Amino acid sequence: MTTTSTTPAGARGDERTAPPHRRSTTLLALVLPLALMAVPALAALGWRDELPERIANHWGADGPDGFSSFAGAFVPLLVGTGLCVAQWAFAFWRGHDGVTRRGLVATSAGLGALYAVVVTGTLASQRGLADGALAPGGGPTVVLGLAAAVVVAGVAFLLAPADARLPARGPVDADARRVPLSRTQRAAWTRTVGSPSALLPAGAVVAATTVLAAVLDEWMALLVPVGLSVLLAAMLLWRVTVDARGLEARSVLGWPRVRVPVDEVLRADVVDVRPLREFGGWGYRLGRGGRAGLVLRAGEAIQVRRTGSRVLVVTVDDAATAAALLNTLADRRRPRDDRAERGTPRATAG
Amino acid sequence: MLWTVDPERDEPLFAQIAAQVRGAVASGELRTGDRLPSARVLATSLEVNLHTVLRAYQDLRDEGLLDLRRGRGAVIAGHADYAALDEPVAALVDAARRAGVPPTAATALVQAAFARATTPEGR
Repeated sequence: MTTTSTTPAGARGDERTAPPHRRSTTLLALVLPLALMAVPALAALGWRDELPERIANHWGADGPDGFSSFAGAFVPLLVGTGLCVAQWAFAFWRGHDGVTRRGLVATSAGLGALYAVVVTGTLASQRGLADGALAPGGGPTVVLGLAAAVVVAGVAFLLAPADARLPARGPVDADARRVPLSRTQRAAWTRTVGSPSALLPAGAVVAATTVLAAVLDEWMALLVPVGLSVLLAAMLLWRVTVDARGLEARSVLGWPRVRVPVDEVLRADVVDVRPLREFGGWGYRLGRGGRAGLVLRAGEAIQVRRTGSRVLVVTVDDAATAAALLNTLADRRRPRDDRAERGTPRATAG
Repeated sequence: MLWTVDPERDEPLFAQIAAQVRGAVASGELRTGDRLPSARVLATSLEVNLHTVLRAYQDLRDEGLLDLRRGRGAVIAGHADYAALDEPVAALVDAARRAGVPPTAATALVQAAFARATTPEGR
């Protein structure tokens, strides 16, 4: 019980708790990006007299095509601050699930780095100019900003602590579905799930980039469709497995993967998922009520309630069997005195 | 699909695994073109030796029920209509239970019937 000091020893593990690691979340997702974005703000104030009357803030094919006043140069930083505060708030209040929390923290830190580098760079390149229209192209600055964002986000992800082990106590709810298994039987359930609605656009993009590479006669450009195919396969095709270790969903490439250890399962159920309404889209997402979801399509899904107020939803066919097996195997792993009396629902047992 | 093995039973583990694929094909849960989990994935999940699963998959390939191809994994092949036996087999099991004929004796009778049926053709 090292992570959630709010969980008293002896609790079942299904009480509502605050997300863990709030201090590191605040440091990495709020203090760090705001400090990074303070650099261009302070630099702008220091360079006020050297900057042109109208400051270039957007570039077209023929050089700068969008301009702002001095005060307007702060607008992107305000936007960045708003985005970072939103990421932090989700992580602070809804970051029960470790992957979600660390993803939000990394996004916030990366955004802070991106805005800091891009705004500082565009302002620095316009010091001493008579007019913003004379500003050099911003390409290198943007590339540098993106590189900084990736590095800072990666470091923040690694620095943000993952969830510690938090075994459940007490039995799996008696009314949760089960599969009949004898004491000596070992059981596993496994199935692949794809994202059919994403296949068409994904295929179109791969085909288009392949054609483009052929037309341009640039074999190096073929790396784009090849890389895309690998990336799309990783995101769109997953294998979901339930066995004595718990639930695991992994991309057919082997990574990324999502796991729920069997001893952290409180109960598993079947739910019907509407991706846009409940999760705002597809992929590994934070949904309504703080649920983490691996949402590849609409419809049938297994929903696992887990210790530490965590809920994981994975869209997959035959979720009823998966949920029933997970409940059965979770019960098996509970300490003997915690196990539910088989066939005696608790409502009638009391 | 749900896979189970019971190490306490007399039937070897590889036979238990193969029997479940046959059963799933007969019940229509598995159809031609369906992909089975890789032997490594299944062996890890069921906590059995990799060769146990491979043996089961090879037996099924020898029956013509599975296509085993390097890189493509194990795929249910175009096969005989196993589902046609679903009802007669259930009826046989039911009849054996009601008559008190033990499973080993019932399967021995089935094997003997096959032996009689195939001998004249000189299989």
